[in-house]
Amino acid sequence: MIDTTTRTFLTSEYNQFVNITDLVSGAVAESGVREGAVTVISKHTTTGITTNEALECLESDIHEFLAKLIPEDHPYAHARVLKDYGSTAGNPTGHLKSLLMGNHAHFIIRDGEVDKGGAQEIYFCEFDGPSERTIIIQVMGE
Amino acid sequence: MRSGPSGMSAPCSVNDMFIDVHVHPAFYEPINGDGCRERMRHETLGIHKNGTAKLEHIFNQMRLAGLDALFLLAQDYCVAEGVVPVTNDEVKQLVDLAPDRFMGFAGVDPHDPGANDKLERAFGDLGLQGLNLHPGRQRFYPMDSCAQRLYDICEAYNRPVMFHAGMSWEPNTLSRYGRPVEFEELAATRPGLRFCLSGFGWPWVEEAAMVMVKYPNVYADTGILHFDSAREFLKRLFTHELAATWVDRSLRHQVMFGSDNPRFEQIRMARMLDQLGLRESTVELIKGSNALEFLNGLE
Repeated sequence: MIDTTTRTFLTSEYNQFVNITDLVSGAVAESGVREGAVTVISKHTTTGITTNEALECLESDIHEFLAKLIPEDHPYAHARVLKDYGSTAGNPTGHLKSLLMGNHAHFIIRDGEVDKGGAQEIYFCEFDGPSERTIIIQVMGE
Repeated sequence: MRSGPSGMSAPCSVNDMFIDVHVHPAFYEPINGDGCRERMRHETLGIHKNGTAKLEHIFNQMRLAGLDALFLLAQDYCVAEGVVPVTNDEVKQLVDLAPDRFMGFAGVDPHDPGANDKLERAFGDLGLQGLNLHPGRQRFYPMDSCAQRLYDICEAYNRPVMFHAGMSWEPNTLSRYGRPVEFEELAATRPGLRFCLSGFGWPWVEEAAMVMVKYPNVYADTGILHFDSAREFLKRLFTHELAATWVDRSLRHQVMFGSDNPRFEQIRMARMLDQLGLRESTVELIKGSNALEFLNGLE
């Protein structure tokens, strides 16, 4: 069976790690799938989905690491008004951070649960917040 | 769903308020229950792919920008375009949802035969605190007779006027109607009328500075980001197109922070104010004191 759901939520910070592990686990439980796989995908281009250990210190280190790689004050070509939006594209850093972080994560489902390592948590990464964001969670299996 | 730590800004007194004087609430969720009106707003304002914004999101945005209050501007193009993108009643509805954060400005179309009555009602019954006009879209010059009665009403109620001056990204606009020099006679003939040239009347920034330095009842806001990033464009505006000393020495009581959001980026523009090389006391005036004076009257 294939069970696909979407979740929409507000982020509150410019750069923010939102732990969505419970959302994904909940979607797996609701699907009733015992053996299979789950994929979580962001619908956006200035966000990411990743897996890491959910520690405040690591969140801080990752933010700093990304900020050094992709500084706010670089002369990005994307810093301009986009006519088809009718508004400024001030978010080149968000697009580039999204590029590094990727837009999805996969996990195996075993015995009805997401089979992840003890330190693994799933993060939705906001790089151009605050904003309203949507993710898709697809559970496949039986 | 759990989130990393976030820093909330502490409440502040009226004296250190940070105000964005130029916000268009066309896509605020509480006034977008009707899909037809939302589509009309996208088309009329030329803003697309942005969706609607919950008030919780607006408050998050304000917190990150450090803002305490917003001037919400109604937009009435009933003669120019046959539509009213944001009515006075809708602005009043939003103000009532957050009266400590929102200050409402009325919109009327000067060519509308009912404009005077609309404005009287907006000030008298709805309690809106100023008037928003767009000469380039509504096709009138500031001294045209159709607008004079509106100025009379503003003066009678001691309410300021926000003019969209200079270039506008909205469709069907002509910049010449909002050229700063067109406002000189208005400033000269109505010294009791406070009005703001949005975006310094860009690209006629020096012209705006000329009118402002002559007339203390003329203000300008910072709501322009036509090229580059907020850091690059506002730096250029305040160090090349205008000398920083002009603002810091002569115009410091007449410049207000405005973002023209959602057209431009409120958060990054707000953060730039502290990086322009202006005196701290000048930045404080731009952030809030001048807006309060614009709203309430010159001492």
